[in-house]
Amino acid sequence: MREPTYFVLASLLDGPLHGYAIIQRTEELSGGRVRLATGTLYTALDRLAAEGHVELVREEIVNGRVRRSYGLTPHGAGALRAEAARMAEAARLVTDRGRDLKAGGPTRKTSPA
Amino acid sequence: MTPLERRCRWLLRAYPAWYRRDRAGEMLGTLLEASGPGQSWPSLRDARALVTGGLRVRGWTWSLSMLWVAAGTVGTGYDFYITTKPYTWADVSLGIEGWSTDPEAVRIAVVLATAASLALPIPALIAGFIRLRGWRLRGWPRIAAWAGAWIAGFALMYQAEIWGNYPANCPAIGGPQNCPAIGSPAVVSWGEMGICAAWLVLGAVLTWILAVPAHPPRTWR
Repeated sequence: MREPTYFVLASLLDGPLHGYAIIQRTEELSGGRVRLATGTLYTALDRLAAEGHVELVREEIVNGRVRRSYGLTPHGAGALRAEAARMAEAARLVTDRGRDLKAGGPTRKTSPA
Repeated sequence: MTPLERRCRWLLRAYPAWYRRDRAGEMLGTLLEASGPGQSWPSLRDARALVTGGLRVRGWTWSLSMLWVAAGTVGTGYDFYITTKPYTWADVSLGIEGWSTDPEAVRIAVVLATAASLALPIPALIAGFIRLRGWRLRGWPRIAAWAGAWIAGFALMYQAEIWGNYPANCPAIGGPQNCPAIGSPAVVSWGEMGICAAWLVLGAVLTWILAVPAHPPRTWR
């Protein structure tokens, strides 16, 4: 799962959001790293909906234009959790060896000359 | 309507009509909300994302076909461009009128367009038929139009070979009707004009055929 997709799904964890709110929440959650353009967001939403990860939850008219809110499906929540677990596992490979890193790298046994 | 809204609407035309009917209003609202106060142009990042998003929705078959039509249009446009210049002896030996005095940029554009118009027909034809498989039988007018457009396209390419280039020995033999005299402006024959018009028709037909989604559109409603 690519990073923008991960953060789009994560932005919906607290409940359904509309397009602009997803853009804002994604940027906030990623610490400003993922700034979605509108076209990119809707490409991602189309794909995630086709995969069954997100669904349309609410539709309203604001300023004469349709505004739709999207929510995470159980399938999407599962995929997000699986991705988070995979990343945590990958991170653990490094964080569990924190002492080695602090000491300037892994200790190696050197054979006497 | 603000200038920003007008420009955003224009950019949204990168998406096909069937997609715009469902999503344009919503996307426009998001674009306007995401824009800063006093902004009158969409950001470059948004513009790029809309164009690439639109092309993605239209599909690569459409892009490939339109590239082919654009290449053909450049070629026919060149036919008109050369009417602004006199025919020279140097062109006689090349067999392409005006070529010897063309600016480098024009030559590059014509070479690229020629290469594309020769390289793309077969891939675009195959891609089109692969995509047609997704259509139901009731879409037979589009299937027939697709096949017809390609037959017409190949016939045009064959005719372009005959009408588009002057024979190398044209002035020497005083030859066919479309031979210009040395030093006089080149002419565009009726045949060449027919090809130009046919390219436009072909482009419109291909656009119409490929305007429907490859798969039934997922609707949010």
